[in-house]
Amino acid sequence: MIEDEIYRSSSQFRLWSYTESSLRDLRANTNAVASDRVRAALQRARQARQPVNPNGSNAETAIDEKEIECLNPEEELELVRYYCEKTLELGETYKPPLPTNVRATAIQYLRRFYLTNSPMTYHPKSIMACALFLATKTDNYYMSLRQFADGIPGDNTTAEDVIAPEYLIMQGLRFTFDVRHPFRGLEGGIMELQAMAQGLGQPAPHLPQQTPEDLRRALHLIPPNPSASSSSSSSSSLTDRIAHAHHNTRELLKTAAQMTDAYFLYTPSQIWLSALFIADRPLAEFYLFTKIGSPASLPPSTSSSSSSTNPLDALRTKLIHTITSCSALLQAYTSLSTGPEQMKSLKAIAKKLYHCQNPEKVNLAGQKRDSANPSPAASTPAAIAAAGGEGASESEMERIAKKRKLELERKGREANDIFGGELVTERTKERSLQ
Amino acid sequence: MCESCVDRIFSSGPAPCPVAGCHKTLRKAKFRKQTFEDIGVEREVDIRRRVMQILNRREEEFATKRAYDDFLEQREMIIANLVHGTDVAKTETDLQRYAQENLSSIRANQALEAQEATTFQERQTLEQEQARLRREAARQEYENERRELLAGREDVLSRLAAGRAGDAAAIAREGQRVLLKKSSARRSEEERIRQKQAVLRGSELRKGVAAPTTAGITGAPDSGLVKGLKKIEVPVPDKPYDPFGGLVPDKRDYYTLQEHYPSTYLDPIRQDTRMLAGGYDLREYYSRTLLEAFAGLGCFLDEELSESGSLDASKPVATQGAAMAAATSGGNASKA
Repeated sequence: MIEDEIYRSSSQFRLWSYTESSLRDLRANTNAVASDRVRAALQRARQARQPVNPNGSNAETAIDEKEIECLNPEEELELVRYYCEKTLELGETYKPPLPTNVRATAIQYLRRFYLTNSPMTYHPKSIMACALFLATKTDNYYMSLRQFADGIPGDNTTAEDVIAPEYLIMQGLRFTFDVRHPFRGLEGGIMELQAMAQGLGQPAPHLPQQTPEDLRRALHLIPPNPSASSSSSSSSSLTDRIAHAHHNTRELLKTAAQMTDAYFLYTPSQIWLSALFIADRPLAEFYLFTKIGSPASLPPSTSSSSSSTNPLDALRTKLIHTITSCSALLQAYTSLSTGPEQMKSLKAIAKKLYHCQNPEKVNLAGQKRDSANPSPAASTPAAIAAAGGEGASESEMERIAKKRKLELERKGREANDIFGGELVTERTKERSLQ
Repeated sequence: MCESCVDRIFSSGPAPCPVAGCHKTLRKAKFRKQTFEDIGVEREVDIRRRVMQILNRREEEFATKRAYDDFLEQREMIIANLVHGTDVAKTETDLQRYAQENLSSIRANQALEAQEATTFQERQTLEQEQARLRREAARQEYENERRELLAGREDVLSRLAAGRAGDAAAIAREGQRVLLKKSSARRSEEERIRQKQAVLRGSELRKGVAAPTTAGITGAPDSGLVKGLKKIEVPVPDKPYDPFGGLVPDKRDYYTLQEHYPSTYLDPIRQDTRMLAGGYDLREYYSRTLLEAFAGLGCFLDEELSESGSLDASKPVATQGAAMAAATSGGNASKA
C-alpha cells in the first residue's frame, strides 16, 4: 500500500516507533543509568561537603546513603504522564487556548524526551513549559517567548527559565520535530463518511465493484451503536451519528491517545481508527471494510478472484487485531487527576523525587549561564549554590533540612494546584542560600 | 625472373608457375620490381606486408597491454612460420579463416590506417611549408636589418660631415643606440615566433594522439586466433525518463480522492474570496487529510520492528546521546 510507504519515510516511524518490550527495556535502561548517575552525583555532593566539616559523623553519611532511593520506571512513567496532563491544562490557560495540535505535540515531545532521560535528572516541571514553547514553534503557532512566559500561572516564571532546557530537549528529541498526529486523519475519515452518507462516496481502489448508491444504502443499514444511549442513536439522523462519533473520537484522541504509549506503538491512522472503534464500533467497522473488503462479502468474491483478495484478507485480519489492541490500550486510560488514590501515589512519587533529584542538574538556567561565561572565579560559588549548598556550615545545613521538611508539607498541600508551586519554592530556597 | 620472361609467359593471362614442381597459377599483375638485392629479404618483406594487412589489430582494441603484446608475439610467430616454412599449411588456413571472419574489422582498420597515413602526410607537408615560410621571413629580416644598418651608418656619416666637431661624440652614441634597439626588438620577435610554433606543434601532437581512440568501436568479439580483445559494449538505450521512479502519481490504495466532499464548515471556503485569493485550494486539504487518515494503516510496528531491527540500531544512539549530554553538562558543572 503506497500510503504505508509514505508513512515509513517519516521520522516518527524510523526513530520513534517501538514494540512494547523494546519500550519497556529502553525505559528500564534509562532509569538504571539515571539512578546510577544520581547516586554518584549525591556522593560527590557529600564529598564536596565533607572538607568543610571534617569531623562530620560517619553515621550521618550512612543514613544519607540509605536515603537515596531512586524512582523505578513505573513511577517515572506515572510522573511523566501527570506532567503530560499538566501540559494540556497549561495550554488551556492561554487566551485563546493553544490549539490541540500544539498541545499534543508538546506532550509527545515530553514523552519522547523522557524515553532517554529520567525525571530524576531533569525535573518534568522545567522541561514541560519548554516543550510546549517548542511545540508552538514547530506547529506554526507563533507566540513570543515573553508572551508565553507571562501566560504561565504561578507568577514569576521568567523567559530564561522557559528557554533554558531548549537545546537539551532538542537533543533528547534527536532533532526530529515532526509528530504525526491522528487528528487530521480523523477529519479525512469523517469527511469521507459524510460523503458516503449523502451518496457521493467513491469506491476504494481495490474494491471497484462498489457504487456510491450501494455505499449509501449500506451505511444507512448499519446497526445502531451499542455503546451510545439508545434514545439518541435511534432518533437522530445518520449525519448526526457521524458527527457524534467524530466528537467522541476527537475527545479520545486528545486525551487517551496522548497519555498512553499509543504514539510509540501504533501509527496515527491505526490510532484514530481505534478511537473511532471505541466511539462507534459498527460505523468504524463499516468504514474500514469499505476500504479493505469485509469478511462477509468475501465468499462470493473468492470464486472470482481468490488470489487478489488474499493479501487484503491477511491485512484485514492483522489490522483488526492491531486496532483491537490499540483500542484496549486507549480504553484502559483513566485520567490521573480524577481518582484520589492516584493523586496519593503521585504525591508519594513527588516526595521521593525530591530526594533523588540529581543535584547537578537542578538549576538549568544557571548552568546555561555558567557555560556561557566559564571564568572560574565567577562560576564557582554559583555552582556550589546550585549543587545544594555544600559550602554551607553545619548549622546552616540543619536550617535547610528543617526548611526542606516545611516545604515538603506545603507541597503536599499544594499538590492539588495546577503547578504545585514547586518552582516558587525552589526559587526561595536558592534565594535563602545566596 | 627477368622482365622479358614475365612478359613472354604471362602476357596472355594467368599461367602456371614455370618452376618445376610448383603448381601455382600466377598472373602478370602480381609481378613487381625487386626492391632488395637479397631475394630472401624481399620474400620476408612480402610475407610481412601480407600478414600485417590481415592481422591489423590496433592497441586500443585490446583490453590490456599484455594482451596486445601477446598479439604482437603471435603475429611475429606467424610471419616466422611462413618465412621459414614451418607448418605453412596450418598457419595459412588459420590466417585465411581469420581474414574471412574478421573482414569488416580488417577493412575498418585498413581504412583507419590509410586515413592516418594521409593526415600524417598532410601534416608533414604543412610543416615543411611552414618551415620554408619561416626561413623566408628570417632571411627577409636579416636583409632588412643589414640594409638599415647600412642606412644608419650612412646617416651618421652624413650628419658627422654636416655637423660641428663638438657634436661628433653625441651623434655616434645615438647611432649606436638606435642599432641596439632594433636588434633587441628583432630578438623578441624571434622569441615570440618560436613560442607560437612550439604551442602549435604541441596541439598537433595532442590531436594526433586523440584521433585514433575512435577505432575501438570497430572491434570484433574474440576470434579464434586473436585473444584478449576488448569486449564491445553495445550502449544500452536509455529508458524513457520516469520522474517518479516507478510510482504512479496520485495513485492511492485505500481511497479514491474526490473533487468535492460535502461538509458544512468546509463548503463556505469554496465561496470565500479571502481564502481563495491567496491560492488556497480545498483539494489540497482533502488530499492531505485523507492521506493522513490512511498513511501507515498497514504498518504493523511490532512485526516490522522486530524483523528489521531498526529499533535496535537506533536505541544505543539515543542512550549514547543522552549519556553524552549528561557527561558534558555534568563535566561543566564539576568544572565550574
